[in-house]
Amino acid sequence: MDDQACPRCKTTKYRNPSLKLMVNVCGHTLCESCVDLLFLKGSGSCPQCNVALRRNNFRIQLFEDPMVEKEVDIRKRILRDYNKKEDDFNSLQEYNDYLEEIETIIYNLCNNIDIIGTNKRIEQYKKDNREVIQRNRTRMGREEIELEEMLELEKTQEELRRQELLNLEAEQKKKKAREKEALIDELMCSGKDANAIVNEFAVKVEKLREEEKQLPPPPKPATQFSSGIKFGRSADHQFLPVPKVEEGPVYIHERPVLYMEGPAAPPVQEIESRGYMAHVRGENLTERAGGYRATYACQRALLEAMQGLFHGAAVAN
Amino acid sequence: MYPLSSQKKYWTFSSPEQLNDLRLKRNQKFIETHGSHMDDQQRMEFFLDANEEHLLLKQYEIYLNDFCRRFEPMMPKCVVGTAIHYFKRFFLHNSPMDYHPKEILATCVYLACKVEEFNVSIGQFVSNIKGDRNKAMDIILSNELLLMQHLNYYLTIHNPYRPVEGFLIDIKTRSSMVNPERLRPHIDSFIEKTFFTDACLLYAPSQIALAAVLHAAGREQENLDSYVTDNLLNGAREKLPALIEAIRKIRIMVKQYEVPLRDRVKLIEKKLEKCRNQENNPDSEIYKERMRKMYCDDDLEVAEDNSYYIADSSADMSALNMSQ
Repeated sequence: MDDQACPRCKTTKYRNPSLKLMVNVCGHTLCESCVDLLFLKGSGSCPQCNVALRRNNFRIQLFEDPMVEKEVDIRKRILRDYNKKEDDFNSLQEYNDYLEEIETIIYNLCNNIDIIGTNKRIEQYKKDNREVIQRNRTRMGREEIELEEMLELEKTQEELRRQELLNLEAEQKKKKAREKEALIDELMCSGKDANAIVNEFAVKVEKLREEEKQLPPPPKPATQFSSGIKFGRSADHQFLPVPKVEEGPVYIHERPVLYMEGPAAPPVQEIESRGYMAHVRGENLTERAGGYRATYACQRALLEAMQGLFHGAAVAN
Repeated sequence: MYPLSSQKKYWTFSSPEQLNDLRLKRNQKFIETHGSHMDDQQRMEFFLDANEEHLLLKQYEIYLNDFCRRFEPMMPKCVVGTAIHYFKRFFLHNSPMDYHPKEILATCVYLACKVEEFNVSIGQFVSNIKGDRNKAMDIILSNELLLMQHLNYYLTIHNPYRPVEGFLIDIKTRSSMVNPERLRPHIDSFIEKTFFTDACLLYAPSQIALAAVLHAAGREQENLDSYVTDNLLNGAREKLPALIEAIRKIRIMVKQYEVPLRDRVKLIEKKLEKCRNQENNPDSEIYKERMRKMYCDDDLEVAEDNSYYIADSSADMSALNMSQ
């Protein structure tokens, strides 16, 4: 730690214990005061590599090696775009290739290898996968929100538990004080034997203790609605279970039966093959476009001619 | 599809006797409800009997056909067929004394135009009617729903025209007959005649069509018997006698049809004017009052008027009786 120093003003941690080293995207360190000085206007260039930087991109260096910081930075930036999940790929092999590619890119950027080519690659990737990126980004956002909510919930529960404990303690203290006072009052005012009174009180206190132990733990505060949805969890990621619909008997398809009550009419194939169409006006182009075929009309006329011819036959026989 | 149609199920009857029974029943029912205060002799003189009703309706079927033939714009044949069907069906269960056939006739044609997708507006429709067109319009529109109700809302009619086309196509394809098109005029006139008989209430449209085709072939000195036995009924010979019987009966019905005598019908019409149900006569006060009541149901003043009119019309009725 001691050799940590600002490369510009050479201040070390040893000399200035409140030294805060900051790092920016280029991966070069500067101490807080130097940042204040150099980036008075909000933007400037890195004194070591002359890369244009912004003041608000500086953050406190967490790792000893500033190169790690740079890598973290680059990784963050790259992963914002390369945000595919394993289930976006067809096979594990493809996913592994994809991860490999990410690592290559990050390595290249960190070590200044073929930066132009790599950037081109990134641009190309962004262009090709714009939709997927956007979708995954919103998904990630949602996951983050969920995580935050969980943390928040835990925190409030912790707080509640602490509060309860405090209350309980205060209560007990008060109780003890009251008991003591009662004992003293008793000793002062009543004409009984002091020993007997003390004994009596001791027994009483013992009893109360027992009771307290048996008291059920305080009821849990309600954290969810009666419908089972937790407070504060909006419905956008938790839907109510779909209510079960009472279903009737399952539909069973039966082929419609053609009741002829007469001799069989020729089927469509026969209408065409046996020359019925020669005696029917053919359809024109407009009718054809509407899905009409002259065979339909012909078949219908024939069907209607045949149907019902045997009507009343049973009665006559 | 005729074999599954309401026409077959509810409106095709098994025998002419059944039709006659129905007609007798509707006649007696009307006389009983409207002539409860008369003895048999009076009834006989005052009301129409079933035969008279039948003659009257036959005359009006002819009127209906003429009306449709003269209709402007030209009406497709199936509209006429459908209208006649409606007319016959309506008067199977209703007496012409109850609803005047003249009014039902126009309504049947109007409804048939709609059902058969022959698009005429009511204005266009009544321009084909002589006399007071506004009144006709009122009558038709107010009777339309009544007609549908009495038809039990079975509005699809299977006419014999499409089966005729089917037979002609089949004959052209499967028989050696020369130029079957020349049968058409005979077929059409035969089918028109069947509409004046009860054939359409007794037989399937395809049977009527076949009867028409065979009749027309006979007129043209052609013989289609071999077509029927060898081609049409190939493989179902055992059905032949029944089919021949049905066709024979249809042809007999057509042959036996008589045009009702003008003088006779005129007398009946005169009688009808007196004995018809005044509640359904759009010229009667009772009818007008009923309509008025329907339009403004909860108006007290009208209710007062009402009693006056009823008294008035009963006086009218007794006057009618006197003249008898």
